[in-house]
Amino acid sequence: MPVAASAIYFLNLRGDVLINRTYRDDVGGNMVDAFRTHIMQTKELGNCPVRQIGGCSFVYMRISNVYIVIVVSSNANVACGFKFVVEAVALFKSYFGGAFDEDAIRNNFVLIYELLDEIMDFGYPQNLSPEILKLYITQEGVRSPFSSKPKDKPVPNATLQVTGAVGWRREGLAYKKNEVFLDIVESVNLLMSSKGNVLRCDVTGKVLMKCFLSGMPDLKLGLNDKIGLEKESEMKSRPAKSGKTIELDDVTFHQCVNLTRFNSEKTVSFVPPDGEFELMKYRITEGVNLPFRVLPTIKELGRTRMEVNVKVKSVFGAKMFALGVVVKIPVPKQTAKTNFQVTTGRAKYNPSIDCLVWK
Amino acid sequence: MAPPAASQRYPSPSQPSGKSEVSDLKTQLRQLAGSRAPGVDDSKRDLYKKVISYMTIGIDVSSVFGEMVMCSATSDIVLKKMCYLYVGNYAKGNPDLSLLTINFLQRDCKDEDPMIRGLALRSLCSLRVPNLVEYLVGPLGSGLKDNNSYVRTIAVTGVLKLYHISPSTCIDADFPPTLKSLMLHDSDAQVVANCLSALQEIWSLEASHSEEACREKESLLSKPVIYYFLNRIKDFNEWAQCLILELAVKYVPSDSNDIFDIMNLLEDRLQHANGAVVLATVKVFLQLTLSMTDVHQQVYERIKSPLLTLVSSGSPEQSYAILSHLHLLVVRAPFIFAADYKHFYCQYNEPSYVKKLKLEMLTAVANESNTYEIVTELCEYAANVDIAIARESIRAVGKIALQQYDVNAIVDRLLQFLEMEKDYVTAETLVLVKDLLRKYPQWSHDCISVVGGISSKNIQEPKGKAALIWMLGEYAQDMSDAPYILENLIENWEEEHSAEVRLHLLTAAMKCFFKRAPETQKALGIALAAGVADFHQDVHDRALFYYRVLQYDVHVAERVVSPPKQAVSVFADTQSSEIKDRIFDEFNSLSVIYQKPSYMFTDKEHRGPFEFSDELGNISITPEASSDIVPAQQYEANDKDLLLGIDEKDDNKGLSSNNGSAYSAPSLENSSNITSQLQELAISGPATSATTPQSSFGFDDLLGLGLSTAPAPTPSPPLLKLNPRAALDPGAFQQKWRQLPLSLTQECSVNPQGIAALTVPQSLIRHMQSHSIHCIASGGQSPNFKFFFFAQKESEPSNYLAECIINTSSAKAQIKVKADEQSTSQAFTTVFETALSKFGMP
Repeated sequence: MPVAASAIYFLNLRGDVLINRTYRDDVGGNMVDAFRTHIMQTKELGNCPVRQIGGCSFVYMRISNVYIVIVVSSNANVACGFKFVVEAVALFKSYFGGAFDEDAIRNNFVLIYELLDEIMDFGYPQNLSPEILKLYITQEGVRSPFSSKPKDKPVPNATLQVTGAVGWRREGLAYKKNEVFLDIVESVNLLMSSKGNVLRCDVTGKVLMKCFLSGMPDLKLGLNDKIGLEKESEMKSRPAKSGKTIELDDVTFHQCVNLTRFNSEKTVSFVPPDGEFELMKYRITEGVNLPFRVLPTIKELGRTRMEVNVKVKSVFGAKMFALGVVVKIPVPKQTAKTNFQVTTGRAKYNPSIDCLVWK
Repeated sequence: MAPPAASQRYPSPSQPSGKSEVSDLKTQLRQLAGSRAPGVDDSKRDLYKKVISYMTIGIDVSSVFGEMVMCSATSDIVLKKMCYLYVGNYAKGNPDLSLLTINFLQRDCKDEDPMIRGLALRSLCSLRVPNLVEYLVGPLGSGLKDNNSYVRTIAVTGVLKLYHISPSTCIDADFPPTLKSLMLHDSDAQVVANCLSALQEIWSLEASHSEEACREKESLLSKPVIYYFLNRIKDFNEWAQCLILELAVKYVPSDSNDIFDIMNLLEDRLQHANGAVVLATVKVFLQLTLSMTDVHQQVYERIKSPLLTLVSSGSPEQSYAILSHLHLLVVRAPFIFAADYKHFYCQYNEPSYVKKLKLEMLTAVANESNTYEIVTELCEYAANVDIAIARESIRAVGKIALQQYDVNAIVDRLLQFLEMEKDYVTAETLVLVKDLLRKYPQWSHDCISVVGGISSKNIQEPKGKAALIWMLGEYAQDMSDAPYILENLIENWEEEHSAEVRLHLLTAAMKCFFKRAPETQKALGIALAAGVADFHQDVHDRALFYYRVLQYDVHVAERVVSPPKQAVSVFADTQSSEIKDRIFDEFNSLSVIYQKPSYMFTDKEHRGPFEFSDELGNISITPEASSDIVPAQQYEANDKDLLLGIDEKDDNKGLSSNNGSAYSAPSLENSSNITSQLQELAISGPATSATTPQSSFGFDDLLGLGLSTAPAPTPSPPLLKLNPRAALDPGAFQQKWRQLPLSLTQECSVNPQGIAALTVPQSLIRHMQSHSIHCIASGGQSPNFKFFFFAQKESEPSNYLAECIINTSSAKAQIKVKADEQSTSQAFTTVFETALSKFGMP
């Protein structure tokens, strides 16, 4: 039994149960009390997201002001558990229109019950794809695709798709205007020593797509030759790096992508889900050009005061420009008073995130 | 299952004050039940919603069960769903009422809408009422043959639910073979996946008592089945893929071609966005290639970068799960990850559990080429605001130092920590310096000069203080003022609360004395005097021992206390390689997170009811360690059984202490307990004679059951029948307990319900009596209870005596059994444990 979950609980920050679903009988109802007394009311809370109490393990996550707790009694697959929670939250968000918090749960409990029943049966995850679930569970109430106007027009058989091979897309979509949007979002992670040496630098990028296409389109995304995805071993055997290629360390794809095709032809071919999704993710560690250079100096002026001096310098070409630059300087929690001197922009202290924020 | 009442506190717009609202709902529902007016469904919907919302916030609305069922005759699917939800929640508590629902659920199972068929079938199987299983078989059978895949998926899981309610019904209805053919022939991926999970569960539970199930379980792992799944793996959703990969792990490939075929089939799974799929694939790869060393190494290379990607994406919890697995791999093959050490640098905004793991990884990957960078980075963390992390990173530096040959730079760093003048940094560093000196005595000169400059007054933590004192004693000749520092410390003996520090003080004073006798003599004298007067047993014993050995011969004392030492070359590995291998076999499960094999936290014997798993990063408990706890518990129990009372006479204290000491005396093999034992005897001695008459009175009560031992047919050997009316007088018990050798000692855990019921000893006594095991004496206070039991064979007057110590905080029971017939003592122990395990169960 690799993944069977016994129960799932949604708790608010005080530990009250907002909603719960018990999938199996092997855990008692008092388990959530154990969680409350042994984890929530102690310092353990931030310590480790997997804890064992009695015979049960609690796999929990905090999302906004809600704790989602999965209770398992066997030696379960943790990665699967966390992924399930993340996916479930994404699903709820897509139903609630973006927000997932205590109020959203309170206002939609009937819907959540329905969803919890559909996405997991007897502890085994079922289909979590919003596209398909939205076919037969809607916020306005449930409308069966079979009983609603069966005579007017042939309705696509939703339940077939609940389980079908292309689990992420429903059939019979039609748009007047076929549109595809593609965004590439990269985040540069940089770790610098106090002396200004770059210790570690990598880029994680995402390709986000928004599709409004009719039918069952098969899309192909070609990557240009500059992108090399070579295995580590080959990389080492090569004598020198050719300057212009971008070496992707690793790529992961959305489940809609045909992985075999990618490996053989280096094209990303897929039948996209409808709406917004993350097509691929990649990671680069070699040859990253930093857009900015940040030069911080910190001076301690006595025991209760410090002075932080941050210089930010752009390193990219003069023709380009950056928008929406924000600098956050983490400061100790006890910070009482701040003074700023800025050459441009505006800075303020945001105590809720313990940061000085410059915009 | 209704949420607990505690959740009623929060204010909700629909918060009812109590019963009146529920009965209000009841009448409203009743009115609507018969109504056929238009729009009635909408008002029903509102009412149902109210009922469900009450249910969610933990108000018991089971009283409207009948009305809910009456209203359920509707074609509106929303209403149906809410009704199913309600029924599923309360059916278990109201088995009689749920019979009412069977009718409409069965009817819905034949509805022409597959949606309703499926939902009804799911609700029907979720009722979990054992006496309703007969109604399940029919709908399940037709559900499995339904032409709609949605219904089939639900039916398949339904079979599994049925199996959990009543295994025999499920097997008798021949469901497993049906599932198997569905699994192999159904066109729908989710149906197949559910079949697989259901069959795996059913067959592994059946396998223990059915050979056929065992064979079937094996057949799941046959080559055709495995390839059938692997070839289709792309059709399944991500969760089902995990399931299949988990199955593939258990497959034993026939030859190396087989292995490569599977790896080629699965290689692209490593690029899947779902971390669970990637981890499952990694597990398949690692397990397949275990026997092929070269390929195994290549697998490590191959899986490295997908795993590193996963670590840097997703929520901290997810990366924690992945990091734990990566940690396991790093420890197994540090050299492969040595070049990637920068990935394990901490980021300021990571939660501490992630940082902690990363620190461990950094220690694990450190080698000659990267030590400098890693230690530099770790030194930065030592100034971290998060004290736990700062400590952890200092320890990490120390661990690296103990691993490496070139410790020069590291020692300098450690000594710099001492100059930071932060309490916890100094304390941690001192402990490390001590360990370092044990391994590399050649560094003593550098270290001592710095350590000597530290004022002992600045160190509050016992561990750090003990380490400093150890160094003072060990290197007394190199530190000019060592005797005077020690003297200062000894003068403050009374203020020293930690026994560990006092013990170290004694030893250090001795060592110092051997090296610089004239300067230390006075201090040693004070220390020994204070030690002998100490209330702590170990300190007292050690002081006495030093005193006597000094009296005997000073040179012998020197040889004993301060012999020439060899440097420690290897510190004991905290975890045996066998356990590490077990954890590796259980890759991709909780074992890796807890860093212990699954039997340690899933088997009942290995855990208490509320035992927390060890903090990660600390040494996890090995089986040896847990068995070490036994003598300690025993010790405690003996200290406390002065309060023993005979049977139900708790007030009979004088007598009870007499019994307690007399009974426990022979049971103690452990010589370390002698002192306490002696004291106990001394205390209880005078009371004996005074209370004897009372005791017979007490036992008359107890034995009022009658003394006849009815002859019965000889029982078959494995089943031990006990005489329910056995009798034994306390004197005889006492005598027997002394005479008989110990035949068995057993430790078992007591279920949490049992612990809860054991608020007073009497509850257990009554319970055991119903199993023909009688109590002769009992006592103790939470958390330790002690009982003496006896029992007699039904057929012959052969006695069994048992001592049972129950610790309610660890939920462990320790049982000592003595028997007239040694051969059957095992059987008795089994009976005893079974009886004990049922304690507290309704």
